[in-house]
Amino acid sequence: MNDLRSFEAMVLPHLDAAFNVARWLLRDDAGAEDAVQEAVLRAMRHFKSLRGDNARPWFLAIVRNVCFSTFDERSARNEQYGQAEDEMENSQWRAGMTGITPDDILQSGQEKALIDAALRDLPPILREVIVLRELEGMSYEDIARVVAIPLGTVMSRLARARVRLKTWLMYAGAR
Amino acid sequence: MDDKELSDRVQRAATRYQASDRLRASVVTQIALNVASRDEHVPKRTTVLGWWSGVGVNRGSLGAGFALGMVLTLALVWGSVHLQGTISPQGELVALHVRSLGAGPLYEVASSDRHTVKPWFQGKLDYAPEVVDVSSGGFPMVGGRVDTLQGRPTAALVYTARKHFINVFERPSDGVGEFEISGHKGFHIVAWRDGTMQVWAVSDVESAELERFAKAWRIATSGR
Repeated sequence: MNDLRSFEAMVLPHLDAAFNVARWLLRDDAGAEDAVQEAVLRAMRHFKSLRGDNARPWFLAIVRNVCFSTFDERSARNEQYGQAEDEMENSQWRAGMTGITPDDILQSGQEKALIDAALRDLPPILREVIVLRELEGMSYEDIARVVAIPLGTVMSRLARARVRLKTWLMYAGAR
Repeated sequence: MDDKELSDRVQRAATRYQASDRLRASVVTQIALNVASRDEHVPKRTTVLGWWSGVGVNRGSLGAGFALGMVLTLALVWGSVHLQGTISPQGELVALHVRSLGAGPLYEVASSDRHTVKPWFQGKLDYAPEVVDVSSGGFPMVGGRVDTLQGRPTAALVYTARKHFINVFERPSDGVGEFEISGHKGFHIVAWRDGTMQVWAVSDVESAELERFAKAWRIATSGR
């Protein structure tokens, strides 16, 4: 009981971070809200597994796991209709696939829209490390805990994500 | 462009999405409900045999335990048959409402999205209940479950009205039910018909607010 009261104190401060991560991964508001709610339910069940640790990476790890299982459900559903699309590996990164060209965005002079579009076009496993690092300001160690990968993998994914972002932005600038 | 410059641009320009007040409220509600349902004083809804085996009967007394279990089961069956004959429809609706908030479960599918809740009922009921989004009227949905009303499986939807809960029970009906408001022990019940469905909304909110909820629901379904 008291455990759950302290649960509220531990988790609520990270609700914005949780929503931000889920929103960036799933790319729609309703899906992100459902993912956060599901994550809260799971977190309550596993609250005992949090032992004097920092609640933030612990909770965000649950949130990102819910998001990735949503990907699995979505791609299973797509396969059912014969339009298999592997969200995990298939990069929708090539500009143009989203319908908005970097050109359009640049001309409208919106740096914000440009950066958002560049992030959106990263494949999810690269997008999540960039969001955790740049938007949530997490340490490499905490990112490793959230994503459950070794520190070296965090570094290499961040490096790959940055190369892609720079290429995307350069392409946007060159046109 | 070097990594530092890229980081600066991303940090400065990228959108940082924020949780809506509605999400925050429903998370707080979720936690509060979980606290309530784990409270030891609230009786859990389990079967008699389930309860009995949970007590941890040793093998020697299993026969005696089973016999006692049978007696309790018979007593319960008799009791519920007896009760069904005497309890008023309003009383049963209020009892279901109170039990869902106390012992729970309040919902078996947790979602504010009707496109998640409606398909959840597939295979659980022999009819497709209306699941209506009335969040714009200030009544966000938190989830749904299958409950038992007058001995029959019945769709139950749960909405919030500020800090109050509204249970909506729904099932097919051929009768001609008019829009009707009644009270029972301080709770309010609004009953109406929606197409082929008989709908009841039960809550402890003011009757005027529950009526507003029912009207928002009817407006939402009349457009379909």
